[in-house]
Amino acid sequence: MAEDLHIVEQTLEQLGAETPERVAALFAEVRADFDRAFGSVTDEASWHALRDGWLGRKKGVLRLITENWLKPAGPALKPAAGQGLNELRAYVEGKKFGAFTASATLVAEKLDLSLPGVERALGTRHLVRQTLEEIERIFLRLGYAVVGGPEIETPYYNFEALNMPEFHPARDMWDTFYVDTPPGTPSQLVLRTHTSPMQIRVMERQQPPVRVIVPGKVYRRDNPDASHLFMFHQIEGLAVDHDITFADFKGTIEFFVHEFLGKNAKTRLRPSYFPFTEPSAEVDATCIVCSGRGCRTCKQTGWLEIMGAGMVDPAVYGFVKYDAKKVSGFAFGMGVDRLAILKYGIDDIQVLLQNDVRFLRQSP
Amino acid sequence: MKVLYNWLKEFVDVKASAAELRERLSLAGIAIDTIEETEAGPVLEADLTANRPDALGHRGFAREIAALERKRLKPLEIRLPEAVATPEPATSVTIDCPELCGRYTARVIRGVRVGPSPDWLKKRLEAIGQGSINNVVDVTNYVMYELGQPLHTFDYDRLGEHRIVVRRARPGETMRTLDGVERKLTREMCVIADASRPVALGGLMGGEESEITSASRNILLESAWFEPASIRRTSKALGLRTEASVRFGRGADPEMAEPASQRAAQLIVELAGGEILAGAVDAYPRPLEPLSIELSSTEIVRIMGAEVPGREAEAILAALGFEPERVPCESPHEIRWRCRRPSWRLDVAREIDLIEEVARHYGYDRFPSRLPPARQAASRLPHAATFDRLRERLIGLGYQEFIAVSLVDPARDETFRPVDAEPVRLANPLSEDASILRTSGVVSLMSALEWNLNRGQRNLRLFEIGRSYHLSPKGKPRETNTLTLGITGLAREKRVYPEEDQAREFGFEDLKGDLDSLGALCGGFAWHEGGPQWLEAGRAARLKLALDVVGAELGFAGLLARGVAEEWKLRQPVYLAELALDPMLEAAERAAGRRRFRPIPRLPGVERDFSLVVPEGTTFAQVREAVTAAGVAEVTAIDPVDRYRGGQVPAGKYSLLVRVRFESPEQTFTEEQLNDFTSRILASLEQTLGATLRAK
Repeated sequence: MAEDLHIVEQTLEQLGAETPERVAALFAEVRADFDRAFGSVTDEASWHALRDGWLGRKKGVLRLITENWLKPAGPALKPAAGQGLNELRAYVEGKKFGAFTASATLVAEKLDLSLPGVERALGTRHLVRQTLEEIERIFLRLGYAVVGGPEIETPYYNFEALNMPEFHPARDMWDTFYVDTPPGTPSQLVLRTHTSPMQIRVMERQQPPVRVIVPGKVYRRDNPDASHLFMFHQIEGLAVDHDITFADFKGTIEFFVHEFLGKNAKTRLRPSYFPFTEPSAEVDATCIVCSGRGCRTCKQTGWLEIMGAGMVDPAVYGFVKYDAKKVSGFAFGMGVDRLAILKYGIDDIQVLLQNDVRFLRQSP
Repeated sequence: MKVLYNWLKEFVDVKASAAELRERLSLAGIAIDTIEETEAGPVLEADLTANRPDALGHRGFAREIAALERKRLKPLEIRLPEAVATPEPATSVTIDCPELCGRYTARVIRGVRVGPSPDWLKKRLEAIGQGSINNVVDVTNYVMYELGQPLHTFDYDRLGEHRIVVRRARPGETMRTLDGVERKLTREMCVIADASRPVALGGLMGGEESEITSASRNILLESAWFEPASIRRTSKALGLRTEASVRFGRGADPEMAEPASQRAAQLIVELAGGEILAGAVDAYPRPLEPLSIELSSTEIVRIMGAEVPGREAEAILAALGFEPERVPCESPHEIRWRCRRPSWRLDVAREIDLIEEVARHYGYDRFPSRLPPARQAASRLPHAATFDRLRERLIGLGYQEFIAVSLVDPARDETFRPVDAEPVRLANPLSEDASILRTSGVVSLMSALEWNLNRGQRNLRLFEIGRSYHLSPKGKPRETNTLTLGITGLAREKRVYPEEDQAREFGFEDLKGDLDSLGALCGGFAWHEGGPQWLEAGRAARLKLALDVVGAELGFAGLLARGVAEEWKLRQPVYLAELALDPMLEAAERAAGRRRFRPIPRLPGVERDFSLVVPEGTTFAQVREAVTAAGVAEVTAIDPVDRYRGGQVPAGKYSLLVRVRFESPEQTFTEEQLNDFTSRILASLEQTLGATLRAK
């Protein structure tokens, strides 16, 4: 405490200080005393006492130094005393007294940090929406345009222009909902079974180069179970140009798999069949559940089928008046809901569209 | 199709194990789902694509295995016993509809003894999931699984005049098939008839009357080729799918009809005795035209992005039966082949089909990969950025996004259906409760609320951005973007903290506030009284865009009508809204384009409170207008702060505390100025609304 600091009640002369070095040593002594006092401050009361003892206008230590050391000092010591005082004042004032002292009432109230804070209820984007957007962003980086289209389609766009005439055996691959059209309506309507019809609509209205993806809802007449929904989301992709080859197709799909499932995910193309692509492929990616070691999800193969794809069948170009000898391209289609449940470890796809808030809240 | 591993060895030297085969075949386009161990050895469950009927028999399947090794199949060896001559031809075949039936062979076997099959045959059939019936029928099944050719045997003695007529069914004609079902036939369908009546549905199933029984002694063996589309049409129309219809429907090998008949005849005689009669008939009105297809190595590179070594391409094509022959071409860097389409590969007709054959057996993994250059600027869906803004706000306001199935129950949909909306009905729904496309988003929102309330989730804020659907008066489908949102339960839950110790339920004002937060994106909403019947009449509003001169309605907001809530068994108040999205999005984009910033005033403003007493029925909008009408240019905000009825406020009136803010960019206000503003405002309020200041 300042009361113990008797040296400030005497002049420099009385203290026998004759050189600037000696003056500096005295200031150091004072400063050490301040540090000791500051270190023992614990609460508001002791802080007030310290502040008054040092900065008090009439009897504060700094005041006393001004009066007893600085003012009477001779010309030889005055600069040293002035400098010492300024430094000391800056030091003392620089200490944020308040920041280190506690309000006794608040301390007494006892903060319980284990209590939850008052959280503002925030909403969430649906997991399927998040997945759709994640996939969109990957293809946007590759220069694709996102386009949308009707869910109620004509059989022409859903099947015929995709190289599937009526009674084509491949139509069995898509169990179709038909619209009960009123009598006199010119054309039959279906709920699109894939977003592939947009391939045709896009190519009808633009010439190559084409790079589009088509997100949207699709419908299949499948009885719902843990891995089937009769309405789900698909992203179709189409790239047509004068120089697109199977190599571009592979590179694009591999890029997508790396971005979506991680750099360690491998891609495998298995020959398959779709009427609107040739050569066609099923795209497998390393099973994300077991990292390829083999598990129940991947039927012990280490691979998960993630999309159907292939080089656009030249017959399709015939429907949109492209010259199949000059252009080539690839197309792919993936089930977004399925990708979402695989990626996020959901074992029943139906959860996605039941909209239980206990599920919805899990995707912040 | 189930494939018995050991059976394959009769056609090709299989060295790979079943597991290895699975891997290698999968990478060549023949997917194997599972491998099952049976008494007869491993059985591979192949999931064959619709274009590969040729692999629906062990021999055809073995050809794919041979091609993996670039080898050829072992030749088919048939030892047909010598036929016995008869004075009269044993049978005759007439094809009246060659457009439906391209080939029909008939062979008569006399004196068979129908009985059980030997063990080896039973075991093979059982291993691949085919039950044993009797030696004759088992042979026909066996040969189908061996060669991919469906066969049928008739009891020869039950065929009228012992002859076969292949024709279209006559109108009104019916027939009982082997499965005991009486089938109504149409002219679209191809039947196998005897002199008078149908005895089989061509390519699908035999008739009950001419079926082989233990008493049958003489049989007629049919081996035919039917037009795929016609088989599929009939199969669909009758809801009948058989091993035969799958094979014919995808396209059987027309050249296999005769060899398969010989093979079956040989086996029947070996296992059931009897003798083959001379005069087997082979009616083949439309023999398969040979097709030659050219393939160029340049085209392989154009499509695949890399070369396939010429000899390897050739070996693959040869193993698959395409008989490639090099033909001269001008460029020394190009190889051209002329290939012949084998009769079992009707799916192959073009150069691209051959490229696929080469590529899949060469291996997709052996082609390089690269990223193609981008050739256009990436672009999102129209309005995508505005959708983001909207969604951000909703999420910030605490709403959970949901996505509902668009197929709904018509009875439920009807309650919320917009006037005159003709729903889109399904012709073949899976169930009644998912038989139309929703005409509004509200029906889905209601289902989502119901689901959660029924599961003890009582405090909900939900929204969906989706489509609703209807048919135009001309029957054209219409899909409209809709925003639906709903709130119910507590707006604020009780918490442990003193300042948060009161729970509060949602009210109309919460919905209005949230909607106005969205409206702020599009220049504000204008609220009008009224709404559809599914909203409580006293708590319903219609919304328009404030800046829209045309004034088209955006949608509705309000409290769910009690009657509807009861019908849905929702036991707490639900506030909901439905808005048409497209006009909102366009307005939001217009508003964003017009946005200009006002400078922030340098001087602090002044607020004055007016504690008014106004007649009941006076709206805040009227008060605001009256304040504005006073013509004080310095007014920058007029806010309602408190509302009070009863007490010292006389009946027929209510008290409204209004806070008015004055700001000026140039000056601080003097008391004199403020008094002037106040008295002008009071005068205007009194004059237009009869408002007075409440006595202190």
